[in-house]
Order: sequence, then C-alpha cells, then structure tokens
Amino acid sequence: MSKVITIDPITRMSGFLEITAKVEGNLVIDASTSGLLFRGFEKMLRGRSPLDAIYFTERICGICSTAHGMASTLALEDALKVFPNENDKYIRDILHGFEFLQNHIRHFYLYVIPSYVKLPDIHPISPQDSKDFRLPNHLNERISKNYIKAIEYSRLAHEGLAVLGGKAPHNHGIFVGGVTVNIDAYKLEKVKSIISKIKEFSNVMLEDAYIIAKYYPDYFKKGITYPYFMSYGVFNNYHEKELIYANPGVSIDGKTYELDSNKITENIHYAWYISDKNVKRPGEDIEYQVDISKKKAYTFIKAPRYEGLPMQVGPLARLIINGEYKGGNGTMDRIIARAIETKRIAEIMEILCQKVEIKNNNQEIYSMPDKAYGVGLIDTTRGALGHWVSIENKVIRNYDIITPTMWNLSPKDEKGLYGTTEKALVGTEVKNTEDPIELGRIARAFDPCVSCATHVIVEGREPIEIRVL
Amino acid sequence: MKQEIECPLMPCKESTAKLLSEEAIALIREGKAKKINAMWLEVTGCSGNIISFLNGENPGLDYVLTQLINLTYNNSLMGEEGEKAFQIFLDTLDTEFILLVDGAVSTKDNGLYNIVAKHKGKNITALEAVKMAGEKAKYVLAVGTCASHGGISAARPNPSGSKSVKDVLNREVIRLPGCPCHPDWVTGTLAHLVAHGKPELDSLGRPIIFYGATIHDSCTRRGYFDKGIFAKKLGEKECMFKLGCRGPVTRTDCPRRKWNGYVNWPVEANTPCIGCAQAYFPDGMEPFVRY
Repeated sequence: MSKVITIDPITRMSGFLEITAKVEGNLVIDASTSGLLFRGFEKMLRGRSPLDAIYFTERICGICSTAHGMASTLALEDALKVFPNENDKYIRDILHGFEFLQNHIRHFYLYVIPSYVKLPDIHPISPQDSKDFRLPNHLNERISKNYIKAIEYSRLAHEGLAVLGGKAPHNHGIFVGGVTVNIDAYKLEKVKSIISKIKEFSNVMLEDAYIIAKYYPDYFKKGITYPYFMSYGVFNNYHEKELIYANPGVSIDGKTYELDSNKITENIHYAWYISDKNVKRPGEDIEYQVDISKKKAYTFIKAPRYEGLPMQVGPLARLIINGEYKGGNGTMDRIIARAIETKRIAEIMEILCQKVEIKNNNQEIYSMPDKAYGVGLIDTTRGALGHWVSIENKVIRNYDIITPTMWNLSPKDEKGLYGTTEKALVGTEVKNTEDPIELGRIARAFDPCVSCATHVIVEGREPIEIRVL
Repeated sequence: MKQEIECPLMPCKESTAKLLSEEAIALIREGKAKKINAMWLEVTGCSGNIISFLNGENPGLDYVLTQLINLTYNNSLMGEEGEKAFQIFLDTLDTEFILLVDGAVSTKDNGLYNIVAKHKGKNITALEAVKMAGEKAKYVLAVGTCASHGGISAARPNPSGSKSVKDVLNREVIRLPGCPCHPDWVTGTLAHLVAHGKPELDSLGRPIIFYGATIHDSCTRRGYFDKGIFAKKLGEKECMFKLGCRGPVTRTDCPRRKWNGYVNWPVEANTPCIGCAQAYFPDGMEPFVRY
C-alpha cells in the first residue's frame, strides 16, 4: 500500500519549498518538488534603465545577491562591449568570493547541521525532534560550538564584502566596467585579514563535514541523482594558472564536454505557466502567463534542460567537471564538496589579494546603445547562473534569468524526466514514514534557493521579432 | 522654560542597538521586563532581511536569541520542518508575541503566488499567515522595504499583486524599511519594545530614532555638496547628487551607522544612494544611476 508524504515548509533554506513523496513500504517511488513563491522579476525589468538591472536583480535573492550583481554586470558588459581591466576583475572576484564564503558557511552550519547534530536549546533552532542524531557527545559538542562560531564567520564574510562594495546583502560595488571602490592599502589589508580568519575556519568546517560523513555514511548512497553536471565556470578568466578554480564544462555519464550554451532550453510543461510554446531558449522573447489552475502543474519553477537533460549545478558539479572530486554523487558528496570548495575559494581569494595593485577604479560614463544584446554566464554559490538581456530604445526590452536552483529544483519536463532533486529523492528508503528526515536532508544538500528560482515570468507581452541564440 | 534645540543627529548617536539591547536585557534580568515571544515570518521577498539580521553585531544573533527575545518561528533558522514547524507557528498565536514580517504580501489569486506551509492538507498562503498572526500580535514589525511599502516585490507592473503588511492588516504596523533593513534597526526596535514599549514613530510608522534624519543631513560627502563639487561618474570621491543620489529624500542613518560591522555604506563605495528605504522604492527612485 502506498502513502503520500508532504513536507511543507522545508525550513532552513531560502524561500518556499514543498516536497511530496509517494512511498510504498519504505521506498520512495515518486517525488515532486514545488517552488511556492512567484514575484515576476523578468516582467518588472521591462522598460527599466539597463544599468539599473544590476542593483535590481540583486534583490531576487537575499543570500546570493552578489551572484545576480555579477551575472547582470557581465550581461551588460557583453551588450555594451565593455572590458574591465585585470585589477578590477581581481577585486570583483574577491567581492564574489566573499559571497561564496558567507553562503557556504551559513548553508553548512545554519541550514544543514541542524538535521544531523543536536544543538543548544536556543529557539528557534530548538526544538529538534529528530530521532536520528548519531554523533558521540564530544563531537556533537564540537559542532554545536562551531555552529555559534559560524554565525560570526559568515557575518565577517559579509563585512569583507561591504569593505569593497558598500554593504551586504545588495552591494553597490560591482558595476559595469569592474568595481567602484578605490582600493587602498588599508582596505586591502582589512580584506586580507578577514580572508585569513575565514580560511582558518574553513579548515574547521571541512573537518566537521568529514565528521558528519563518518557518522552518516549511508548518505553517500542516499540522494544519488543523474550523473549530469554543468558549470559556467568561476574564478577562471585569468592567464595565471594559480588563480583558476573552475572552468566551464559539462559532464555527462562520466565524460566531460565543452559547454555550449546554445543547448540550453527551458520548458513549462509542469509549471504554473501557460504559453503558445512549452519550450523556449533563454533570451528568446516569448509570452508566458501564470495559471495556478493549470492541470498537472505543481510548481512556479520552470524546467531548464541541457541537450534535453536535467543537470546538476553547484560545488559538486564544479569539482567533478574540473577533475577535483573522485567521490560519488550522493547527499554527503554534495555536503563535502561545498566544504572543500569553501577552503579552495578562501585560498584563491588570498592569491587574488596578492595580485591586487593599489590603483583607482576605471569607471566610465556609459552611454546606452539603441539596441543591444548581452549574455552573462557565471557560476555562483549554488551553481550556474545566466542573465540574458536585450536592450531596445535604450531600455530593457527583454530580460531572462536561469538560476542555479532552477536547474537543481526543476520539475519534470515534457518527456517526464524528473528534475535533479526529484530524481535524488526517488528510490530513497525512508526509515520512519512518520518522521521522513531523509527527504529534507537530501533536498537541503543541493542548497536550494526558491527566492531565486521562482522569479520568472513574462506575461501579456505584445509580439515582437523572435531572437534565437 | 528654555527651548530645546534638537540636533537631527543626536537620536542616532543615542540609539545604538547595543545600548538599547543592554538596557532591555538588564530589565529582563531584574524581572522588570519580559523576554517576549517573537515570530519572524518570511513572505513575498528575497529573505534578505533575515540574512541582514544574521549580520548583526553587538548584539549579534546568538545574544539576541538567548537574551532578548524568544524567537519561536523562522523559516531560515528553525530546527523543525513540515507540519511540526507550522504547529509551532500556530501554538505561538495563543501567546503574547511580536510579529516580524520579512517581505511583501502577495495577494493575486487569493495569495496563492506565495504558499508558506501546508497544514492538514490545506495550503497556507503568506496572506493568510500574515493575517492570522498580524491580528493577534502585540506588535507588528514590517522588516525591510517590501514588508513596509511593497518594495521590489511590488515593482511595476506588480505581477504578484504584492502589498505592504500595513495594507493587508487593519492595525498599527511599525515600519522598518531598508533593502535590506539594517540589523541594528530591528534589534534596536525590539529592545525598545521590550524595555520601553513602542518607540516614537513618524507619520509613516517608522521609529524616529533610526529614521529621523535624511541621508543628506548627515552625509559624509555633504562638504562636497555644499561647495558644489559633484562626481561625474560612479567610482569618484565627490558628491553623488548629480548621478541620481536619493540621499536628500531618504530617511535612514546609513552615513553615521554604516553597515556590516560599521565599515562602509553605499555612498562611500562611490555610488549613489538609491533610496532603498523609501516608500516609492524602486519605481519612484529610478533611474538608480543617471548618466
């Protein structure tokens, strides 16, 4: 006899997620993930000043706003043919690096850890009702203490971001042409000092991840999904080898390929949108409308696909594509990959700081072309983020965004292929169907951000020429 | 009687979140004030205000949670999930509590564009949750510009029909705008509520201690403005006024308080203030950058 389990809200993540799982005996035989927030950023952006897209799109997401600032800036630089110099690129990547550190530390300790470790009795962290806490006392206590420390280190990462970018979340310092800060010796030293503290803590975090892995080894086997990975690359546009972290690429069934962004599509078959066309390419100007009564639809998240395949994006994808992780594709692999990456990024940020010269920024007065088109593809904390902008009459004509969480948390597509997290859930053995803690653990390891994933929609648009990438 | 001349900057100096919190905590310890329950509800927004709250320093998050308030419900932090999590929300409704709302309230299609929980098989929309808790709360705090005024979530053409918290509740709402809201503005207001009751509010419901003066009043680049020296592009060190700076109309204490460990703020990052704490942000504040 089968039973349907619904978990809503999946707490300890950004935004609103529901998981529904059909369980037969103790085995999940069907699963769906639903993003339950819709705001419609792409529609809002129409008609606005293109340069405003940077600060505007940052507000898609409170935990990864710098990611959107980066992608939007890259898309505009592509459209305006602006090429920042190396020094400004270093500083910009340090800003972006701080967002990684902030995000990864918060995700690991504040979002993931409470599912595995009994924490101090502080509301709302407690109550924690799980019956599956396995750590011996001394290790439980160690990670509990590090949870409190993580509050300080993640705060510190945002302080580093603010030194260079004014404030965080929603910084002002990343802009077309590079950055707006005039770096000086004091700021640089302050940033270096923050990075060095966080780097030290990243070692602790990595040890904590391995401790969790040791006591929950079954989670290497839980949450296994398709062997399809994608990255747009990050910390990679440099001549110096020591600065390169992740190159763009795709890995399918163990083979690595070059990324071809023309192979990206998104479809709305199971999402609460209606349109003449169920499948479109990003940047293509096609009208959608929200329809929450649409039959079979169950989410506000569209289904992006690469060559028709649901890809996994994020730290594990970056490490696998770049040959830096030899483990598997399960929940614990994702948790460990994020911890490994935190340390790697802190190291790269230190090298970037060594390269930075004390020079003024290179801002210009940017004039807006009547018509232009630009694409910004970059890997961010949660994975591959793309912004596609078209400009007409000096304002935004069309703006498309595909966020990392849309990849990881997509619904089924027209072929019936599960989304990446759904696939990870199907086949899971749930020990106690009254307390299905496995499902939340599996979903959170992808670091879903529904605020980001469900911004989309372009409705009531008058038809214009369709542009195909 | 001697007439008092009020300096607009004095309230900012006298109202650090730290001072207010220490005062509140001392009263709690002496048994003269109560550590009150609170719920932080994330709704139609980016959850950036809770992230900003986590950035609080002196007092930091653990201090606020252990000493100042008893935060029973918050999606980003709570240990529980699913039905058990939402049950805590329901249980808190029967106590004395402060409601903090992060995000606007989506109203289109009866609020179904934002579902915050499923309870006994029924979708609980953000609109329902805000109404349920908002009607019973001792105080309601709209944290951030979306909750305070609609903000980015209600930007034209407002596809989700997002409204401010005040617009869906028939009661007093303390507005703490800012995109995001500065952690000190939240903690300071909470501490004030615990120690002294409601802070003095302006006509829009904003605590005057944090929102009493405009950015322009206390701008670190005011000297340039007064001498008529203006930046011509972002990245310069002069007054940002001619690039579209909204400091003259935006009421916050950013220039003095600064952000993230009090290290910087947008104008010192050589960019204009974009008026993110104002009622008409973003539509009335555009373009953010004027070239």
